Amino acid sequence: MIEICVGTSCHLLGSQDLFHVVEALPIHRQAKIDLRGVACLQCCRKGPSVRIDGLVLTEMTPDRLLGVINDNLVLR
Amino acid sequence: MAQVSEVTKIRRKVLAEVSRLAFAGKLAENVNDILNTVVTEDGPRYRCCIHKERAVLKDRINMALNQAIGTKLTEAAQSALEGKQVELPVINVLPEACDRCPIDKFLVTDACRNCLAHHCIASCPKKAIMVVQNRAYIDKTKCVECGICKRSCSYGAIIEISRPCERACELKAITAGGDRRAVIDYDKCVACGACQVACPFGAISDPSQVVQLIQALKGRQQIYAILAPSFVGQFGVQAKPGQIVAALRQLGFREVFEAALGADVVVLAETEEFIHAMKTGHPYLTSSCCPAFVAMVEKHLPQQRGYVSTTISPMIAAARMIKEKDPRALVAFIGPCIAKKTEGRQYPALIEFVLTFEEMAAILVGAEINVTKLSAELFCPKGSREGIIFAKAGGVAQAVGDTHAQLLPDRLLKIEHCDGLANCKDLLIKLQQGIIGTNFVEGMACPGGCVGGPGVVTDQRVTARLVEQFAATAEANTARDNKAALQPEWKKFRTSVAS
Repeated sequence: MIEICVGTSCHLLGSQDLFHVVEALPIHRQAKIDLRGVACLQCCRKGPSVRIDGLVLTEMTPDRLLGVINDNLVLR
Repeated sequence: MAQVSEVTKIRRKVLAEVSRLAFAGKLAENVNDILNTVVTEDGPRYRCCIHKERAVLKDRINMALNQAIGTKLTEAAQSALEGKQVELPVINVLPEACDRCPIDKFLVTDACRNCLAHHCIASCPKKAIMVVQNRAYIDKTKCVECGICKRSCSYGAIIEISRPCERACELKAITAGGDRRAVIDYDKCVACGACQVACPFGAISDPSQVVQLIQALKGRQQIYAILAPSFVGQFGVQAKPGQIVAALRQLGFREVFEAALGADVVVLAETEEFIHAMKTGHPYLTSSCCPAFVAMVEKHLPQQRGYVSTTISPMIAAARMIKEKDPRALVAFIGPCIAKKTEGRQYPALIEFVLTFEEMAAILVGAEINVTKLSAELFCPKGSREGIIFAKAGGVAQAVGDTHAQLLPDRLLKIEHCDGLANCKDLLIKLQQGIIGTNFVEGMACPGGCVGGPGVVTDQRVTARLVEQFAATAEANTARDNKAALQPEWKKFRTSVAS
């Protein structure tokens, strides 16, 4: 499960670009991801924040998120 | 819209930090902390050294405080806290940030094969090209940048490079100065903000009134917000309109007004003006709600000035409605637009603050208000569906067309809309030459209309979809269906102050 923070602070620092990363994945890979928006991950000054299977990652960039997804989806 | 780049993030972090300190009442003492929090010793480095980055940051902070570049930060902060602002141009080049991009316009690339034909050498009217180290070489001292060599090369090996700011400016108002720093020709600039978006070094900036507004809000003055219709989704894609209104009230705004209601008043006035113009033999009339478009006509096509509608913009209409109700009101316009900052200055008695959505979002972050977590206020749009879709290119044209059809159903109209300043200029020139015959022209400086403005936070396509959805919730379909806009007392507000 990938939860992307859609709070005002993370939104201002580009969290919408992170949605686009997941939405641009091939359909069969997207199907393995449960993508959600979350109101706040309590890391407002280090945004944008993402929670992946319960682990909060801060200062996320589209490239880094793609890397995290690739590393973890392959293993499964 | 491109992704939120590092340079955009820095700009937004500066605005948010300035706001946070202003709310905490520590801006005057701690303004220098921003130099350490936004750029850190071990953080990513974009320039040669941290000293250069901090020098640039100082320029950015001065801009965020609406003070002259080079002002000592503690003095600048104090001045902003007292509500003072320096009369800066709306578009500024930050001298420290401009990287003085090279201007060798034509460049021979690795694709050059040193062929036998040498079309480049043969075609160059200035004999500026020779072969050096098995490849064509352009002698910069002779080159006049005509571009014939680029067109003549069979391999396409000669490329044309331009500075991002110059390429972005559709009115050619920004050029390289003597020291290669960008220089803005204010006789040509209409403050559309395209260069600010385009510069990869973030060297172009607009002064911000965030601190002045925060101080006014803290002072419990009667401040009213006017929200441009593209506000939906700007403070978080899942934030509902009712949550945004709740957030603004929590900040201390007395009331939140929709520019869309002003837009309805504008549509009624503009359609009437249009019918009158057609009767009196005007060949055509253009819309007047986009300040950059109006400025483009004034500065670049002055002979067509008479064909621009004299109707006020939705922002001014809404401000007049507010001031009529509450003469002590201070008005803050919040929208996607930088050019509105210029328009606001033309009406100092009506508009006290003009902020972009980006600046407003930074204020909310500074106040630690998360719009997505608030409980929504009950909110029904007061503007009509067509007043709301003013935010999208083609919206004004549709609204005026439909209202005209309601008033004079048998009169046929030719309505055209154009977005992007170069397109607008092109269309108006063709109209004047009689190449095309159109009666009403909607002109929007930003590609896609206001949803694609330089002050937005949310992706243009997402906003366009959200605006459509929001517009569908409006009770009234057209301006004439909207009782709030039809009230006779607004009639006297419709024409411009100047006329």
